[in-house]
This record gives sequence, C-alpha cells and structure tokens, in this order.
Amino acid sequence: MSRLDAIAERLDSAAAKASAMAQLSTGADAITLDEAYEIQARSIARRLSRGESLVGIKMGFTSRAKMVQMGVADLIWGRLTDAMMLEDGGEASMEDYVHPRIEPEIAFRLSRPLSGNVSLPEAISAVEAVAPAMELIDSRYRDFKFSLEDVVADNCSSSGFVIGAWSKPPADIANLGMVMRFDGRPVEIGSSAGILGNPWRSLVAAARLAGRYGFHLAPGHIVLAGAATAAQPLKAGLHVSLEAEGLGRVDLKVKGEAA
Amino acid sequence: MTNDILAEIAADLMEAEGKRQPVAPVRDRIASGSIEDAYRIQFINTERGLGAGRRLVGRKIGLTSAAVQKQLGVGQPDFGALFADMAFGDSEPVPMGRLIQPKIEAEIAFVLDRDLTAERLTFADIISATAYALPALEIVDSRIADWKIGILDTIADNASSGLFVLGSHPKRLGEFDPVLCGMVMERGGDQVSLGAGAACLGNPLNAVKWLAEKMVEVGTPLRAGDVVLSGALGPMVPAGVGDVFEARINGLGSVRAIFE
Repeated sequence: MSRLDAIAERLDSAAAKASAMAQLSTGADAITLDEAYEIQARSIARRLSRGESLVGIKMGFTSRAKMVQMGVADLIWGRLTDAMMLEDGGEASMEDYVHPRIEPEIAFRLSRPLSGNVSLPEAISAVEAVAPAMELIDSRYRDFKFSLEDVVADNCSSSGFVIGAWSKPPADIANLGMVMRFDGRPVEIGSSAGILGNPWRSLVAAARLAGRYGFHLAPGHIVLAGAATAAQPLKAGLHVSLEAEGLGRVDLKVKGEAA
Repeated sequence: MTNDILAEIAADLMEAEGKRQPVAPVRDRIASGSIEDAYRIQFINTERGLGAGRRLVGRKIGLTSAAVQKQLGVGQPDFGALFADMAFGDSEPVPMGRLIQPKIEAEIAFVLDRDLTAERLTFADIISATAYALPALEIVDSRIADWKIGILDTIADNASSGLFVLGSHPKRLGEFDPVLCGMVMERGGDQVSLGAGAACLGNPLNAVKWLAEKMVEVGTPLRAGDVVLSGALGPMVPAGVGDVFEARINGLGSVRAIFE
C-alpha cells in the first residue's frame, strides 16, 4: 500500500468508526496540498467501493475571517456522498461523529455541467434550485485542530448535511438573513453575505477548484456554498433549525436526551 | 439621592461631550446604584438640550442583543434621546470633530405617524403607528473614557448616543421581513459586520414596543413623527477619520456614513 493510500485508509477508518486520530502535519505524515486532495479522493473512493455514491461537493473557508484565521488564500472543497445526507426534519446521532458541529449554509442543485473557469452568469444559469441547508462538520483529528493540508485530506471535515425544500433560484441571494436556532433559541444570526460576499461566487470557485482536481460538477449535483456564520457544537437532544430569508427552513433533531 | 449630585454628574457628562474630553466612569457616584437615578441624569441633559433650543426627533434603543445584555449584566434594553442636530442623511459627511471615540452599527429606523400613549401596547399598535422604516447607521459614542461603561454609565450618558445616519428609501412594514432581513456592513468595501433582524431582541418590533411602553411609563410618550433607532443587527465596529461605511439591509436598501 502506498503512503497516500495508507493515510486515506486511516482517515476513512477514523470517519467510519467516529474515532479521532492525530494530525498528519504534526507527525511523520506531512503532505502537500496536492497530496491532500489525492488522499481525499482515495479516502472517498473507499466509501464509494462500499456502495456510497457521490452527490456533490462542499465548499470551505468561504469567509474572509476564516481564511485569515487559517492563513490561506483560497477556498477548499470536499466531496459529499449520499450516506452523508440527513433528512429534513430527521435525526442525527452523536454516535456517528467524533465532535460534530453544525453551521448554516445555502445549497445549490445543478441542471447543467459546470467545470473549470466559468463566469458568474454561467454558474447561475447552471443552477435549477436553491435551498437552505446545514452542514455537520466533524474533524477526524483530535481537538478539531488541523493544518490546511490535514483538513483537505480529511474531506474538509464534512460528515453530514441536511437540505430543506428546493425552490427556484431567487434573483438576489447576496444578503439573506440566516438564523440558526437550538431548541428555538438563536445561536447564530448572520447573512448569506458571509459566504464570499455573495454565495453565487462560491459556485464559481467550486467549478474552478473541483475542476482543477479532476472533479466535474454534473447535472443533479449539489454544491454546499459554505458557512454563513461560525459553527456550533452539537449535543444530544438538540433540535436545530435554520431559517433563511426567502428560502424557508430546514430542521434536524439530534437523538437522545439533553444532558 | 440628592438632586445636586445627579445634576453634577449630568453637568460633567455634558461638559465632556462639549469639550470632547471623556470622563471617568460615573457609576460609583450614583450611590443608590439605581437605573432610575441613571435615567434622571440623562433626563437632566435632555431637558437642558430642549432648553437650549435643540429639537427632539426621537429615541434610540440600546442593549438589544443578548450578547451585550450579558456583557453588562442586564436583562433589558435602554434608551436615549435623539436630537435633530445628531441626524445626517445618506452619504452626507459626518464630522469626526463632533465625536470622541465613535463606533458604528447598522439598524432599522422606524418612523411613527401616530402617538403611542397607552400603557400597554401590542404589536398591532406598533405596526399601525409605523409610517415607514429606513435603513440606518447609528454612530454610538461614549463620554466615559475608553468605553469603560457599566449599565449606569451608559444610561446616564444618553445611552451612548452619538450621531445617526438615515437612508432615504422608505419601506412599509410588510415590504420587508423585520426578523429575517439580512444585514451586511462594509468599511471601504470590506465586510466588517454581518447579521439579521433577529439579532435585535429576536424581532426589532419587540424593541420598539418595549421603548413605547417605557416612554409612557416615564411620562414622555413617543409622538407622531418620532424616529426610533431600534437596535443593532450585527456587531458594532470602531470608526475613524476617512472611513466610509455602507450598510445594506435586505429589502430596506442601503445607507452610507462618510467620516470626515
């Protein structure tokens, strides 16, 4: 087994067993960014070989604050599989994750292929529907600490997502209020402007970045545009909801009783 | 508490504002430690303003976010007086020389066309009394050195009011979503604050209703024509000479403050 395959196997196993592992960057496994994307591809390939299917991609580091915090100059992306999809109004189980957090997002569904350098109007015209969404992020690294390469290899911490009802894309999604509540109380209040100033820009970046690594967005694929606010840690028994201005709402329950 | 001490504190705050020289916190001088006495100090200066010919045009509501209330250890908002000379229009230069240590935040301004004189009010009363809403930038300022304020300091100091800037495209309630409207504020084109209507007491109308009942309680009800700055929709940020801030509130349009 090659070095990259071995790391991919460890990350896949950590995700499958919901057990944390040491960072790559702080040990003997330091990798380049290109290697990190290759590990991600091989790690997800293991899931696909177990019968999962690719349904789209997620974008990360879409806020300027996050980029500055991580000391990076570009976005990152990860793969979404059908097994990561949770049902709107359904349940998530803490047992499936190491230390899950949830964040408010906007999801796009494509009706046309989108890959490489595309213009904003091209990206918009490839979208058939938009929906409010929440992503569960769950780093497989201990204490949620990682380098840029670490997190890319770990599929950008992506571990689950829930999408609300799809609607036709509104003309203007640049400044939609986003209110995420735990048990009815607001825990994050923000605007879709937190996603690169305008979530459509995230789609342009998605086509460019995924294309660079040989992933071509296809009709039916979903793109999670990135977090509009900071993420919040999940706990057993929580009822999480997101309302997005003009897009409606999406709900998720975490199994179990509140501690 | 004796009125003399309250009057003395009021005079110190007014002098600090006039000379742009902040003073030490005043809370320890309010021996009663009561919010009512802090408001008495504020009202002394409001009366002096009116006596000097200033035109009262409305009120601002402060401490409307859960985070800020927690920080100051209070469970309710506060209010301050807005005078016409504090008001600026969209893109009109704001003179930094009138301010000490300004910060800026984006809000929804409600403009009333009815008096609100009942002791207990409903959302229906507030909605019926609102002529229109405008996007607004509130420039808060403190006459207390280094913003080292407690709840008594800020109430005595006119709820840390400074100046305010109103947008120009009036919208009726019903034409925008007061809870889910997105808010983005930029400085020189860079995002500095994000939020939504829900950040203001869960719904800015809650803040207006609280204010309207409070003003009846203290004997100076809100009147037709009053401007109500309802409270921040996102974090406030410091402002400096040369800064250009633009706030956009979805459905309400935009407003700019240019500091000169």
